[in-house]
Amino acid sequence: MIPKHHFLCFITDETMPPVEQAHLALAGGAHMIQLRHKTAPGEQLYRWSMAIGELCRQHQALFIVNDRVDIAIASDADGVHLGQGDLPAAAARKLLGTKKILGVSVSSPEEASTAEKDSADYVGFGHIFPTSSKKKHTVPTGAEAIAEIRNSVAIPVIAIGGINLDNAHQPIDAGASAIAVIAAISRSENPEVAARKLVTLLQQNR
Amino acid sequence: MSRNTRRISTTKQNNTGMKKKHALLPRICIVSSGMEADGAGAILGQQLKLLPPTLACIIQIREKHLDAANLYRLCLAVKEMAINTHALICLNERADIAAAAGVDGVHLQEFSCPPDRLATLRNNLLTGKSSHSLDSALEAERCGSDYLIFGPIFDTPSKRSYGPPQGLDKLHAVCNAITIPVYAIGGITPDNAQNCLSAGAHGIAALSLFGNTSSFCEILSHIDRKLQS
Repeated sequence: MIPKHHFLCFITDETMPPVEQAHLALAGGAHMIQLRHKTAPGEQLYRWSMAIGELCRQHQALFIVNDRVDIAIASDADGVHLGQGDLPAAAARKLLGTKKILGVSVSSPEEASTAEKDSADYVGFGHIFPTSSKKKHTVPTGAEAIAEIRNSVAIPVIAIGGINLDNAHQPIDAGASAIAVIAAISRSENPEVAARKLVTLLQQNR
Repeated sequence: MSRNTRRISTTKQNNTGMKKKHALLPRICIVSSGMEADGAGAILGQQLKLLPPTLACIIQIREKHLDAANLYRLCLAVKEMAINTHALICLNERADIAAAAGVDGVHLQEFSCPPDRLATLRNNLLTGKSSHSLDSALEAERCGSDYLIFGPIFDTPSKRSYGPPQGLDKLHAVCNAITIPVYAIGGITPDNAQNCLSAGAHGIAALSLFGNTSSFCEILSHIDRKLQS
């Protein structure tokens, strides 16, 4: 289940091999790994999912697959993360059953409450800060916008977008349950150490 | 009952009552254009309108550029538009979206997730698999696929980058090696379609052959007659 304490979600970087990245993030203490790859063939995604899922079990971390409910079910992942351009959350929930984790990306309080009504277990909200990992057409929300999302739903809010060691305390102070990062770990000289520092910071903020 | 005569139990509820799907898989598989703008299904809608009402076919929705939300909408739209036809609707690659939308099947690519790993999603889904070699054809059958699309059989501009066509001999070898129905794809015309059946294929699959809406109905009927003869 989703941790009750502040936690770190690492989302794999599409420009690098995902299993090795996940391994390093888990060694550094990441609590949740999300496999995100928009173009890999299904068989490749399935093999990556099986490998990362096993690593997550060994590290008692959660394994989430982005977009592909089919791959999540085939590899018995802990859950699925859906964007607004993916399967509707309610439709995905029917396929997943009640035990799997369902996360939904939202960019407004309205989307957040819709996701919660559609039985999401958490919402991802951002992008909080400027980010280079994904192309964005909107301006960063700033950490203070998290409070509004937090007030519109009872489920955990995971902050995402441009979060790093220097600013990670801001979304947590603003009420986020967790932070999700890509580049702060994947583009770091030492991804394992980068993950560990983020986890330590989250633990200090309990 | 042999697997070649696999009964499709799929039925659809519509205003006029239950419609029974065909006892046999259709001989014709129409692959969508890949040019749908969104989930509304404008092109597929046109094709479905022109489809002879008694003609049995598989319509494979293959619109790889659309995101999952649009593919889901597209499946729901096509399913609705196909109610009074004898078309089985299969979605390319995504068993999750196919199952969520309640279409008839999923068509997995050669390098899709292994079909046997999708068992829970595939419960009621007809499952096809693409193959470009004897080995992957055998693997597709072993993993529980219901039918195979094998090709390219003949020269076709869109597939030249994948190397020379397989030809009728390889088609024959594949059809001999597996028991599930095989659809020949790649450069199919009304004139060579019957040769594919003589080589052991159950039917034919095509995209550009059916792509021109002005000749769509004529070509379909023509090829249907050729395959029946």
